[in-house]
Amino acid sequence: MKDKRMTLFNFVRGAAAILISLAVGTVFIFLTFALAEKHYTFGECLENTGEALRYMLIGPLFKKTGDFNTMGLFQILAAMIPITFTGLATCVMFSANQFNLAGEGSVMAGGFVAALCGIYLKMNTGLHAVVCIVVAAAVCALIMLIPALLKVKLGASEMVTSLMMNYVIMYVVLHFLNVHFADRSKGSTQTFPFAATSKIGEIIPNGSKLTWGFVIAMVFVVLTALFMYRTRWGYAIRMIGANQSFAKYSGMKVGGTIVLSQVVGGMLAGMGGGIEVMGRFNTFLWKELPGYGWTGVTIAILAKNNPIFVPLAAFFIAYLNKGCSLMSTYCNVPSEMIDIIQAAIFLFFAAEQFLSGYRQKLVVKNTRADLMKTAEGRKA
Amino acid sequence: MEKTNTEYVVQMKGITKVYPNGIAANQSVDFNVREGEIHALMGENGAGKSTLMKMLFGLEQPTEGEIYVRGEKVHLTSPTVAIAHGIGMVHQHFMLVPSLTVAENIVLGIPPRKGIFIDYKKAVEITEEYAKKYNLHVDANAKVMDIPVGMKQKVEILKALVRGAKILILDEPTAVLTTQETAELFKELIHLKNQGYTIIFISHKLKEIKEITDRMTILRGGKSMGVYDTKDTTEQEISRLMVGRDVVLSVEKDQAQPTDVVLRVKDLEYTNEWNRKMLNKVSFAVRKGEILGIAGVEGNGQAELVEMLFNLNQPDGGTAEVNGKNILGVDQDRIRAMGVSLIPEDRMTYGIAGDGTIEENLISDRCDKKKFNIGPLFNMRAIHQESDRLIDEFDVLCKSNQQQVKMLSGGNIQKVVVAREFSSDPILIIADQPTRGIDVGATEFIRKKLVELSRAGAAVLLVSADLNEVIELSDSLMVFYGGQISAYFEDTSSINDEIMGEYMLGLKHQSEEEIRRVCHEG
Amino acid sequence: MFSQLMSMVLTEDFLFSIIRITAPILFAALGAVVAEKAGVTNIGLEGTMMISALLGMLVSYWTQSWVLGVLMAVLVGILLGLMMGFFNLKLKTDIILAGIAVNMLGGGGTIFLLNMLVHMKGNTGSLSSANILIPTINIPLIDRIPVLRSLLSGHSVLTYVAFLSVLLVWILLYRTSLGLNIRAVGENANAASSVGVSVNKIRYIAIGISGAFAGLGGAFMSMYYSQGWNSGMVAGRGFIALAAQAMGRGEPVGAMLSSLLFGLAQALKNKVTGLTGLASYNYLVASIPYIVTIVGLVIYAASTIRRAKRHRKASEEK
Repeated sequence: MKDKRMTLFNFVRGAAAILISLAVGTVFIFLTFALAEKHYTFGECLENTGEALRYMLIGPLFKKTGDFNTMGLFQILAAMIPITFTGLATCVMFSANQFNLAGEGSVMAGGFVAALCGIYLKMNTGLHAVVCIVVAAAVCALIMLIPALLKVKLGASEMVTSLMMNYVIMYVVLHFLNVHFADRSKGSTQTFPFAATSKIGEIIPNGSKLTWGFVIAMVFVVLTALFMYRTRWGYAIRMIGANQSFAKYSGMKVGGTIVLSQVVGGMLAGMGGGIEVMGRFNTFLWKELPGYGWTGVTIAILAKNNPIFVPLAAFFIAYLNKGCSLMSTYCNVPSEMIDIIQAAIFLFFAAEQFLSGYRQKLVVKNTRADLMKTAEGRKA
Repeated sequence: MEKTNTEYVVQMKGITKVYPNGIAANQSVDFNVREGEIHALMGENGAGKSTLMKMLFGLEQPTEGEIYVRGEKVHLTSPTVAIAHGIGMVHQHFMLVPSLTVAENIVLGIPPRKGIFIDYKKAVEITEEYAKKYNLHVDANAKVMDIPVGMKQKVEILKALVRGAKILILDEPTAVLTTQETAELFKELIHLKNQGYTIIFISHKLKEIKEITDRMTILRGGKSMGVYDTKDTTEQEISRLMVGRDVVLSVEKDQAQPTDVVLRVKDLEYTNEWNRKMLNKVSFAVRKGEILGIAGVEGNGQAELVEMLFNLNQPDGGTAEVNGKNILGVDQDRIRAMGVSLIPEDRMTYGIAGDGTIEENLISDRCDKKKFNIGPLFNMRAIHQESDRLIDEFDVLCKSNQQQVKMLSGGNIQKVVVAREFSSDPILIIADQPTRGIDVGATEFIRKKLVELSRAGAAVLLVSADLNEVIELSDSLMVFYGGQISAYFEDTSSINDEIMGEYMLGLKHQSEEEIRRVCHEG
Repeated sequence: MFSQLMSMVLTEDFLFSIIRITAPILFAALGAVVAEKAGVTNIGLEGTMMISALLGMLVSYWTQSWVLGVLMAVLVGILLGLMMGFFNLKLKTDIILAGIAVNMLGGGGTIFLLNMLVHMKGNTGSLSSANILIPTINIPLIDRIPVLRSLLSGHSVLTYVAFLSVLLVWILLYRTSLGLNIRAVGENANAASSVGVSVNKIRYIAIGISGAFAGLGGAFMSMYYSQGWNSGMVAGRGFIALAAQAMGRGEPVGAMLSSLLFGLAQALKNKVTGLTGLASYNYLVASIPYIVTIVGLVIYAASTIRRAKRHRKASEEK
């Protein structure tokens, strides 16, 4: 009973955070119209804001006619693929209290490595794609050893090292892309096309880019959840995050586990990058960090570091993203709206004291009820 | 304003303090201090001295009772208010900023200024002026991190004086000092007294109390045992008032049949970061089937001993072996694999992960075991079974094994710790303050279990500041004083409280031969 | 190739560019120093620089006054700092997460704002003109002395402010009562509050100052360095500043030396990029400043450990 009420409270709190964030977004949308080059009247501004909100909140799944937009759903699910992986990666690392932010770079490195495997290895269909992804994951796992070992051996902040590594990775990838692997026959910088054997195909060939990568992502949601909640290593990661002294006293290998959490994080992020590149594109053409790493942090915050909630959070963000881009296409409100909303969600969702007065009341009420119950029990 | 008897500069009337966790730290305590005296507040750890003084310094508010300063009723809602009433406190753990200079620490919050700048010269002047006036010599320009402990304490006293304190509370000021530093401090305190300052001196060291105080109030179990003139009271009387047991509860247990030595500690030495020798060539042995107790006032090396035995700290010398195998500097998983369990003194830091579930806290030492894993995965059924079994066997009051541990009461949290530590088939159990701060039911339960395990063949090393507990539970008993074993009693049944008190407070010390018996060599 | 490089490096022009490149990093690093001294890790410097850079630039365009533009950038920096403070101190959002949120605003939020306010995409392009850029100062006499002139003369007003700020921050921290409180709060908050210093108030002030410095760094970027705002302009300088703070042991002068090191790495990169023989290494060279940062951090961390060991040994011998 007590726990149910707290669950309800947490739900209400999350919903309130999201609503506030959307409200903040609405204010900015309104301002966009109010300040537009074309001078709208106040009424028109309101009307346009309503229209923009419709595109953002309902548009991704429903056409203007009110019909369900199946293609839209496919596209949202497709967009979930990379951010599900980075979300999972962040969950694992944050669970161990490791603020490693190199998910961003890992996605790029993973994508590039997978692309190279896809271009230059000769293999059978199916196996080829698997090898691409596995190599991408392995390379990124190795890369993450750097911040992890520096933290464990020298106490260097994994946060700062990982932030720097994002840029190093980006430039190294760009170097190899431009100097060694570019297809000079193309107008823009990109690699040669991947071998057909390495492509990750669409589940239903309809151009939605909803590839088998989505299935792999969902499998990894389950695997990561199992890893975190059903294996001794995930358990150690969580206990170290909860209380490092307790973990040490209990006989866990604290240093090794901290390294493990970041290596697993790198692996997942790298895999996400590989799958995204091999599924969505035919050549590698990223010229900057793709941003999925940071989105992964938002998702981990929304999912409270629990892998099981990652698909839900990823769906939410992918949905909003789609909504924002529709809004940008049809209403001329820039799609970067998503970052403003994400930032607001971030701030409120992670705020422990947000609505804490209400929680305090709940706790007091619960304690009182418990005391009454015990008193009654004694009488009986 | 309500007025009251003006004979006293501080008057605390009928003070009761109940903490949110239900512990009553003070019960109807009266505490009166005369102007210009050095008044001792005495009692064992947990007697309620610190709580009482925290209320006088505005860090805590009394649940019931009134406080008068110079006859005027006051509401001390924060240290700032207490300081305004002329009350200053020197905490046991110094409230200093290490990288700031002595002068900067002294004027922190009230710095002399020249425009927007700190008048640092003036700050040094103020420091030196007060230092001279009160005979408290400090180096105003030195950084606090570079000065010795004794000087840090003087800085703390100066901090209070500069802020206009007329009543000084010193919380166990000699606990961190060397003998020479203590002597110096006493000279300074008497100097202050002669200038009309009132000093409240918290301590449990008899010699010091006799040497420096005028009167004393003795607390035991949160209640006042009365006020006494120091010169009319013998050390034996004080010791009896302080250490005596309120209720002699007896634990039923058979005669121990100790056999082989399990834990052997030899010449263990440790000097802490303040250069105090916390363990001075400590040697003893614990045998299979017996409970060896360690009694003593806290801070005499017990905590350090336990830390060394579980590799939470490194000793400077000596050895410790379990069944002939070294355990010093060995990783905790290997110590545990040898069959050693520890109930840690600080259960919230080491004993549990509060955010974890009960189940997660119960399996932390055994999650690697074959029994709980199928290949790479946990065997959840076995784990649930294990946790339910332990919850049942150790009577943990909870909704389910998935409840967060931090939601439990103190007693039930301790039961979770105990359930884990007792159920790993230990051959040696180190129990450090196993029942501190928990309810009677849980206390009784844990004590019974401890006896049960020892009778079933485990060796138990019990550290407890609760005299009642340590005497009743132990088969034989050591007393720690000043980092050494000051007494060993082979049989606890005939121990009398008075003698115990004298050993605990350093009035008596057994001969080396008597003490060496605890090593069970030949 | 090496000699070509050397001849390029050993020029006054090169010295000048080191100073120019260092300034914005130095601003942000000083911001990091002040916040960290109060016990707050300001990872939001990057985003703060982006947002202040944009709004500062726009205000200077609207008012045709670079001074007002810089003031706006500072104001925005302070407000963002206080916002982080509010979420961290009042609502208990982890300071790292609050910083990441500000960085998100700096990333996409600025592009949104740019469109909303002046209907442009990605950069301010044609908006900036010479008269609203931060002016440069030629110091008479010195501008005739070789070498010295490139170090001391012909820089922008804010460049001088940046290096002067090192002194100002040092005075603030070590000579004013606010600085005393900041250091006390950061090192032992209990000690500070036990003598009536309000820990939260001091932290608000510190993170506000931190934001102000990031604002100056932003203004420098858009109103002098890049001569206009674009979305990739700050490029991790806020993060590098965090590293400079750590490497400089949290002291203003140390942070300046570390910032100069990064400035050197960046200037070197710019030079090498222009070399024909090295053209194919452009990207690798671009990663040098970041690699230098990591190496610097490692050296710092290792030396800290060694020092702690030595300290322990010394106290044991005592």
